[in-house]
Amino acid sequence: MSQSLAIVADGLVKTFGDRRVVDGVNIAVPTGMVYGVLGPNGAGKTTTLRMLLGIVEPDEGRRVLLGHDRPREVTDRIGYLPEERGLYPAMKAREAIAFMGALRGLPWAEGRRRAVTLLDEAGLGHAVDTKVRKLSKGMAQLVQLLGSVVHQPDLLVLDEPFSGLDPVNQEGLERLIRREQARGATVLFSTHVMAHAERLCDRLAIIAGGKRRFEGTVADARGTLPMQAHYTPERDDPSLAALLPADARHNGREWIFPVPDGEIEPMLQRLIQSGHGIAGLSIERPGLHDAFVRIVGQQGPDGTGSDIGAEMPR
Amino acid sequence: MTANFRRSLRQALTVARRDFVATVFTPTFLIFLLSPLLTIAFGAAGGLGASTVAQGASARERLVVIAPGATAPGFLVADKRLRAAFDHGDGPAPLRLETPAADPAAQARSFIEGRNGDVDAVLYGSLTQPRILYSRGGKSDADYLALLADDVLRAQHLMPGAPVSSPTKTRIQRTQITVAGHGTAAMFAVIAIFILTLFLAGLTLGTMAEERSNKVIEVLAAAVPLESVFFGKLIGMFGVALLFVGFWGTIASQVAGILPSGAAAAIATIAPAVGKPMFAVLFLLYFIMSYLLIGTIYLTLGAQASTQRELQLIALPMTIVQMAMVGLGTAAAGAPGSTIARVAELFPFSSPMAMAAHAANSPDLWPHALALVWQGLWVALLIAFGARWFRRGVLQSGGGQRRRRALAPGG
Repeated sequence: MSQSLAIVADGLVKTFGDRRVVDGVNIAVPTGMVYGVLGPNGAGKTTTLRMLLGIVEPDEGRRVLLGHDRPREVTDRIGYLPEERGLYPAMKAREAIAFMGALRGLPWAEGRRRAVTLLDEAGLGHAVDTKVRKLSKGMAQLVQLLGSVVHQPDLLVLDEPFSGLDPVNQEGLERLIRREQARGATVLFSTHVMAHAERLCDRLAIIAGGKRRFEGTVADARGTLPMQAHYTPERDDPSLAALLPADARHNGREWIFPVPDGEIEPMLQRLIQSGHGIAGLSIERPGLHDAFVRIVGQQGPDGTGSDIGAEMPR
Repeated sequence: MTANFRRSLRQALTVARRDFVATVFTPTFLIFLLSPLLTIAFGAAGGLGASTVAQGASARERLVVIAPGATAPGFLVADKRLRAAFDHGDGPAPLRLETPAADPAAQARSFIEGRNGDVDAVLYGSLTQPRILYSRGGKSDADYLALLADDVLRAQHLMPGAPVSSPTKTRIQRTQITVAGHGTAAMFAVIAIFILTLFLAGLTLGTMAEERSNKVIEVLAAAVPLESVFFGKLIGMFGVALLFVGFWGTIASQVAGILPSGAAAAIATIAPAVGKPMFAVLFLLYFIMSYLLIGTIYLTLGAQASTQRELQLIALPMTIVQMAMVGLGTAAAGAPGSTIARVAELFPFSSPMAMAAHAANSPDLWPHALALVWQGLWVALLIAFGARWFRRGVLQSGGGQRRRRALAPGG
């Protein structure tokens, strides 16, 4: 694969006290992609992002950001929204955004100018000169998010960006991420809400127990599960259960069961020939949510589990 | 200048600007700025210092009588008799007798203007028409010498109609620096640096706590090296300190009466060995160094504090440390060249005060170049140490064992 990589994490390890929080995580994010880091609470997502950004140093492993193995050398080209949101309460929204830009090398005056535009676009034009302490939690979060993109970074790292936002603002954030990608930025974000990842991510990694469990596209992740049939017979009786796979579940009038690849036609023939009739039938891949639950659920009690998915591009 | 250094400096200045604006453009800053009006202790401390300085200076002064061998014993007897009339400590400066040279007038003038003489008044000439030269502030000494001459003359002619002494007193403008002036300058420098640092370095104590409580620290830590954050905060608060000093300095320069009378008199006699312009420059540099050294300690310790109570607990021992440092500084000012002075000049936290005193007492400039480099090195070391400690303790990086809630590892 010849595509350049915006981020490479190779065998990152971090231990706090006697707890191995991140245990050999590998991630490769091609330039220009929207990449998701998914995992349950406490999986090690935030610590992985912090190591990538140089906020904490890894105990082992290597990371390369935008071609540099020392993240500090490219801080001006990176935007970051931490999981724990934080702004100076006495700052006005415009100043807060300009300040975050100034930290990344954007002149204050330009930062203020862009802040007004960004706030207008985000529907917060009325809050340009409002102090942060007077903004709602969601509005303050948007201000911080705008502060992370005001300097037009090449790499945008967002840690749980959707948490705390109402559905309207979540949709706005999705638009902003797509806009940043269209501008040419690489976007890396962590989440444990699958719907956002499913809609946004070109590729994703699933982390659990400090280890990477999966790496690939959303389709790859969904492909780890067989097709799922939702069948509603016209006449239901005990003899039907014998025709269906052993792991079929009964949900009201509906039967739900997996259909392995290549088994769709034989299964349909069996249902038609059985004479139970077909009041409703859908056969589709399970969503990312189910794939995530299955992948994370494979983790053993000691945190062990296999890494599924495509080979990391290099 | 490398790109990394330029970036770090720019980031530090960004942090400094934020802190400066956030501090100065608040109503509470006015209270801070005007707080000296409420702090009578400032005036008291100034007066006390000036009094100490004046006593130290007068201990080095001398009166000189240039008299031939035949007259000299008479002066000693008269001096002993007249001095007995004064309370202990209130008497004139000690008397020294000198044999007349070929040109007694020139000899007398050289005593007044002499670099190390600290002679306030000199008498020469005949007893009937003695000539007395005196320096600024030496009028009473001149009167005493006239009285002395008259007493010796009367002792020699114990009869009616004897000649009376008709002295001629001339005030001389000194052109040379005196040891007393050095001492005044040294003590002034030590006390002024101490008071300014005591008052202003503590500003840095709670600045990192603000970032921790607002959770802004991670935004900063991701964008800026912690060393730059620390340095930026020092610069920002130093800007506040300069504003404070500038405000009160301007008022003091315009309203002379604002100073306690003792302090005003002491400042008037300041005569640093390196000269006043260079002394002013060195004083400013050593104030900056003292501020940076003590401010970094405040900042480093304050960064570890999680609550206001912890911040308050840190403040007291730091004040005690500063009191110890001013003790070393005043010892160095009072005993230039001594072992204690050397120790004070080398110990990083007392070094700025002791070296400012050194500038007052000795004209050599090269030790100041060394001292500033030495102190700057300690500032850099302390900033690096403070950032490292903060990173290990609070950001939980580098294998630290301590767990803090501020940035606990999460999902």
